[in-house]
Amino acid sequence: MATVAPAPPSNAGHSEKLRGVQPLRAGEGHTFFLRRLHSLTGIIPIGAFLIEHIVSNFEVVNGPLAYAQQVKFLNGLPLARVLEWVFIFIPLAYHALYGVYIAIKGRANVNVYPWAGNWMYLSQRVTGVLALAYIIQHLWFQRFTGVSLPENPGVAYWKVQHELSTAFMLWVYIIGMVVTCWHFAYGIWLFAAKWGITPGDRARKKFGWVCGIGGVALCTMGLWSIIAIYSAPRVPYMYNAMPSQPNNTVAPTIPGQYPVTNYDQNNTPQQEPLQ
Amino acid sequence: MAKGQTIKVEIKRQATPDAPSYTEKFEMPYRPGLNITSVLVEIAANPVNTEGKETSAITYDSNCLEEICGSCAMLINGKARMACSALVDRLLDETKSDTITLAPLSKFPVVRDLAVDRSVLFENLKKVQAWVPIDGTYDLGPGPKQAPQIQEERYPLSNCISCTICMEVCPQFNTQTNFVGAATIAQAKLFNMDPSGSVLKEERLRALSGDGGIQECGFAQNCVQACPKQLPLTEAISDMGRDVFIQKVKDFVSR
Ligand code: SF4
Ligand code: FES
Repeated sequence: MATVAPAPPSNAGHSEKLRGVQPLRAGEGHTFFLRRLHSLTGIIPIGAFLIEHIVSNFEVVNGPLAYAQQVKFLNGLPLARVLEWVFIFIPLAYHALYGVYIAIKGRANVNVYPWAGNWMYLSQRVTGVLALAYIIQHLWFQRFTGVSLPENPGVAYWKVQHELSTAFMLWVYIIGMVVTCWHFAYGIWLFAAKWGITPGDRARKKFGWVCGIGGVALCTMGLWSIIAIYSAPRVPYMYNAMPSQPNNTVAPTIPGQYPVTNYDQNNTPQQEPLQ
Repeated sequence: MAKGQTIKVEIKRQATPDAPSYTEKFEMPYRPGLNITSVLVEIAANPVNTEGKETSAITYDSNCLEEICGSCAMLINGKARMACSALVDRLLDETKSDTITLAPLSKFPVVRDLAVDRSVLFENLKKVQAWVPIDGTYDLGPGPKQAPQIQEERYPLSNCISCTICMEVCPQFNTQTNFVGAATIAQAKLFNMDPSGSVLKEERLRALSGDGGIQECGFAQNCVQACPKQLPLTEAISDMGRDVFIQKVKDFVSR
């Protein structure tokens, strides 16, 4: 018995909404601008600041005074507080919040398709979230609480060394450094790929080496600083490398006395008067 | 695997778009040179499951049986591939087991069994006007000549068979982003490079900057790995990303 086949589903005009993934909303919305802005802010200004920050912090290898001078120099830049908000905090907040929004909308599938690019897609989201967690605690403890470094650049070395006085915090900083550099290096590679700077396969591969080597170099420099200040002799409690530096003024730098042995074997900070 | 052994096939089935899904198991004698569509044909010829119960034949899409119509994409051992070019011998080799699992593509609404509704790709191609506009009320005469260099760059893009595998494997193609997917972006590039098709270039670029457009690409590069026709999809996305950006800047300063 021949039966009449049911009519195929009509797609005349598609008046009813399709199920599942929706078609392109041509000409609608602003996500192109928001996504491209997210991509750009990761490099300028945030990436540029990251490089500056790691290079500046490398001064710790030259001891408390050199580090204090670097902190003083940066905070002495004209409109330092405005620069900080406009070029660091606001772009960083945008990049972070929009980045989390992007990450939660993705549907990672490395379990089914375990390919290199797919792993990197996932890694960019994981490192982004880890870096954000690290940066929040870093800003909170180093910038917004404790002794204020913009006003007392002389105690910068002590503040950082004190923060890194436990093995736990050392690892937080090491992991924070690695994930941040990873996210930045691959972010530059992604930027070049998405903005059409490296369309060809070979161009992308070559640029991958550039980003990889650059990222490793930056990360090495950052880790070096962390290890250097962690393993250097402990400076005394609230040690000020520039004792004659009054609050909020840029006075000539007068070095403080470098401590001799002001820490005991139990690692207890020795209460010393501010110099 | 040798002649005389049996292969087991586990198929995720679903009677209607809203019915619950279930798995049905089949067994059949092994023969060398089978592909997945011939396995489904064999089940249709004798639709009896492993419990010995008579059941209905499996519904699936297929047409050309030579990986050119693009209709038979499904999840074979969990991965999106074309049923007609998925060879049973290789699949058994890959997993070192005698079982093959089949399921419908996971990101498209199921019509029945392994057949899914992939019309979102057709809708997307319409949104970017992936064609050469030559319809008119009079004969437009011969088109402009195409340089061989342009032809060579366009040819690989013209190989797309609209199978939607690049979309299925993409982590960004989902109901949260409603991303347009690699195939549509590649077709927009194909027609933007056509000497006649390029009259719609700006409109295509503007369409691709809408919500769900090219910006949703996360460059996981699964599309280019999975595409059965080896389209240079990442290159197309990169090129179009630049073109869309330039178009947006032009529009911003001049419109
Ligand atoms: S680009 Fe490749 S994977 Fe995507 S629909 Fe076309 S042929 Fe299929
Ligand atoms: S049946 Fe045409 S591509 Fe498989």
